[in-house]
Amino acid sequence: MISLHQKDDLRELRPRFQATVIFVALAFLALAGRLCQLQVLEADHYDRRAERNFIDKVDVEAPRGRIYDIQGHPLATNRSSYTLYITGWARFRLDPEGGVVSTPEGKREAMDDTTRDRILSLIDFIDEADRDKFLGLVEELRVDEAKGRYAQIARRNLSWEEYARIESRLEVLDPWVEIRESSRRFYPEGVLTAFVTGQMGNVSSRTLEGSPHLGYRLGDRVGQTGIERQWENYLRGRLGARWRVVDARRREVGDAPGWAVDSLPPVQDPIPGQDIYLTLDLDLQTVAYEAVSEKLAGAVVAMDINTGRVLATASVPTVDPNRYEQPIPLAEWKAWSDSPLKPFIDKAVQEHFFPGSTYKVVSALVALGDPEFDPDEEIECEGYVKFGKRKFRDTHVHGPMNLEQALVHSCNSYFYELAIRNTLSLERVEPVARALGLGERTGLGINGEVKGTVPTEEFEAREGTYQGGVRLNSAIGQGNVKATVMQIAVVYGAIANGGYVLTPYLVDRIETNDKKLVFSSQPQRRSEAPVLDASDRARIHAGLVGVVNHEEGTAYSERLDNIVVAGKTGTAQVGREYRTEGETEIEGWDTTADHAWFAAYAPADDPQIVVVALVVHGGTGADAAAPIVMRVIDHYLGDTSSETELRPRAYGVPPPLPGQQGDEASVRGGGLGKEGVP
Amino acid sequence: MNPLLDDPRSWSARLRHSIDWVVITLTAAIVTLAVINLNSAGDGDWSGRVATQLRWIGLGSMAMLVVTAIDLRAVYRLAYAAYGFGVGLLLLVPFFGIKVNNAQRWLGVGDYRIQPSELMKVLIVLALARFLHDAAAKELSNLRRLVVPFVMVLLPAALIIRQPDLGTGIMLLLVSFSLVVAAGLRVRIIFAVLSAAVVSVAIGWSYMENYQRRRIDVWLDPELYADTDGYQTIQAMISVGNGGFFGRGLSQGSQNALGFLPEPYTDFPFAVFAEEWGFVGTAMVLVLFMSLTLWAVNLASQASDRFGSLLCVGVAALFFWHAVVNIAMVLQLVPVSGITLPFFSAGGSNVLTMMLGLGVLMSVSRSRHSR
Repeated sequence: MISLHQKDDLRELRPRFQATVIFVALAFLALAGRLCQLQVLEADHYDRRAERNFIDKVDVEAPRGRIYDIQGHPLATNRSSYTLYITGWARFRLDPEGGVVSTPEGKREAMDDTTRDRILSLIDFIDEADRDKFLGLVEELRVDEAKGRYAQIARRNLSWEEYARIESRLEVLDPWVEIRESSRRFYPEGVLTAFVTGQMGNVSSRTLEGSPHLGYRLGDRVGQTGIERQWENYLRGRLGARWRVVDARRREVGDAPGWAVDSLPPVQDPIPGQDIYLTLDLDLQTVAYEAVSEKLAGAVVAMDINTGRVLATASVPTVDPNRYEQPIPLAEWKAWSDSPLKPFIDKAVQEHFFPGSTYKVVSALVALGDPEFDPDEEIECEGYVKFGKRKFRDTHVHGPMNLEQALVHSCNSYFYELAIRNTLSLERVEPVARALGLGERTGLGINGEVKGTVPTEEFEAREGTYQGGVRLNSAIGQGNVKATVMQIAVVYGAIANGGYVLTPYLVDRIETNDKKLVFSSQPQRRSEAPVLDASDRARIHAGLVGVVNHEEGTAYSERLDNIVVAGKTGTAQVGREYRTEGETEIEGWDTTADHAWFAAYAPADDPQIVVVALVVHGGTGADAAAPIVMRVIDHYLGDTSSETELRPRAYGVPPPLPGQQGDEASVRGGGLGKEGVP
Repeated sequence: MNPLLDDPRSWSARLRHSIDWVVITLTAAIVTLAVINLNSAGDGDWSGRVATQLRWIGLGSMAMLVVTAIDLRAVYRLAYAAYGFGVGLLLLVPFFGIKVNNAQRWLGVGDYRIQPSELMKVLIVLALARFLHDAAAKELSNLRRLVVPFVMVLLPAALIIRQPDLGTGIMLLLVSFSLVVAAGLRVRIIFAVLSAAVVSVAIGWSYMENYQRRRIDVWLDPELYADTDGYQTIQAMISVGNGGFFGRGLSQGSQNALGFLPEPYTDFPFAVFAEEWGFVGTAMVLVLFMSLTLWAVNLASQASDRFGSLLCVGVAALFFWHAVVNIAMVLQLVPVSGITLPFFSAGGSNVLTMMLGLGVLMSVSRSRHSR
């Protein structure tokens, strides 16, 4: 029982109680000190850390600049699309009900097989290869934690079905899958302008790793060919950023409280890419493409002879650039890359050919430069020329020919004879050919132009092809002479404009998104002085007019009713071409058939436009290529009374202000002070 | 003589004099803040956890008043029996206990779950106080005399640590040790025990499981484990610091509202409170808990006998160690262990235990007037 006798004992405990009071006070004081440190002295630090927790930066993609033709028809624009992002490594725990719940803490773990298979089952793969590629990416993200811990672009351009299917299962696919709104490139004209606009593709790992300063992110799209590639830096714009409130699971808080929203940094608007206006005229391009697309393979180029503005350029076959926005079935891809028609090659600039008889204007110019040469001297054509032990054949027995007639009839013997006389030695031809822009890139810039070849004796020796007769073949655009369609257009443009070799160009101007002019191109001549003598030019011009308008001209059958065209056919022999084993037969494709050329300018008395067409293995120039050229010229210069469409703006005329359909824009592209064609 | 029954004064006057208004005021203040905070931690939800907590607070308050009314002599008589009852419950746990997250700590009573280890905290105070009352201070230098309280404490502590519930086990040891020290344990022995503790921790270190050792590593440098084991600690610190001087305001702390702070109901309610109330609020809570502790020590020095005095010391120790260890844990001064903050942490048994303790305190307070 409690008894009071222990009161004394209680007094004994006093010192212990006093010590306790001090101990308790010190303990709480220590806590207060720590709280003071954290909440007063270091409050700013923790304030920032708290913000770092819940403020999440989101890239805002800049809309890519659009590409227009000269009249403002869109050639490349953007459309909204859905992009699938996959995270390979996440923090999660298993739900009691068997699902997966993401958590803010814990070890990251790789995606499980069930989830992977579930994702695979939600996507419509076009073929096994597509599926394997996707699976490969997912597996890579599952293996490599450094890559897998961030949401990576796994598939672009989801179809509506795929989008709906995934969206409705997001709960189950938590933390692995996310769909974000994005944009894809759209080419309204598709194949029509395929090689001009070019196409987009995923940024390569070489660019990502080798040039981090460019600021590309994994999965970004970049221009691969055409204008898209050449002007990538103008088109791409700059990323913006916005900030959002996220919770511990890094999910956006839908209805974020005001205090959280208030602490978000201001939005950084993206800088939209700049819009590019091409010199291309979509109407003319349509005519040109349709004309050349009747052939299996070929190219056509139309250029303003006064400025070098490219009005149309088309090459067939080609692949619709929109196709690259979706996965492409492997079989189809293989068919394209194996095709002897080379659909990936822009035949206007990316491949060179024997120019054939179109090269005779070069030979004629060389001859005219020889003071001993008499253009009016007649040389008898017997249908062949013997040189050494070899016999060089002609197409017909033409009889006596002077220079003009030789051009009109496209007589080979005449030029063989000049070559035998050494008027057309390789050494003499080369400087003239180079002055006209052959053997060098024209400077168009897009699609990896090739140089073509202008042979010299050293070149022939190096190639091991030198022999006495080579200059005979070279004189008629065979042998080792090679040129691109664009180069031939520049040569004929120079003849048409009185001897100025122009640098062809496709970009008229570049404007920012809010219509401020950033860049405006100027015509560029290779040299200040004309490379042709006026009288030489007149002689060749007369010959070229004859080709189309003289009853015996090689292209007489293709002449136009109302427009006088000057031109030259070319039928380049290809000899035997290699054929790959097991190559599929294509109907109408004969690799032993000649390349058909036609180069022309019009109107003859006041030239405005040069058009060159090439039909690969198309047969004779007059039959295969000339009709293409004539259709383009007819459209450009033909009767305009029924035309309601805007005509291309003349060079030097300012573009109409937005909303104003300026009448001055209807003036046909003349330029350099010349009047438009009536 | 039961003063509540036999006192000639009016009923209300008797009640007024029987109740320690300091304890009531401090408790009411702490409970109010705790409930507001629990509501904040639960995203402004008054049902669920908060309602449960309020029910337990009501139940606990009644239990407190009942205990207040019980004569200290009755408490003295029942002390060992109560202790035996507590140990009995603890012994039932391994057989009938409910398992949650690999720990078997709870006994089911109808819809309610009680945690015998929590009750044990106050029961060990009763039993030790009686033992130490019987044993004079000078007897405590006799080591043989210390065997009984040693076993008395170690038996339930071992049972609790086995559950496993290291936090509560340590709490039991801390409270008991405080009590023995206050009862006059020789300074030599105190130091001997403390050194023994240090040595045993050092030896135990090599026997510790990896995860236990890791807990210490995390405490020493949580940033190294920021994504895993250090996450809680770091987020708690951020919450506290984010509160600043005046706090973010009720349910406007980003850490809690957006889910960055784990365990806001049990282990880290103080972090929620610190973020919303700032230094102003946290200082207030420190003052409240310190006042309660010091008032209990004051009552101890005024008690009419050793038993009452030691009861007050025991209750003081209970509140002191809970508050200090929990807050120190939030502030990364000690490693994370499952020690709750009285009334702030959601948990019925804990509320009940603390209320019983306060009842004992008021009972002693009442008895000092009637000496």
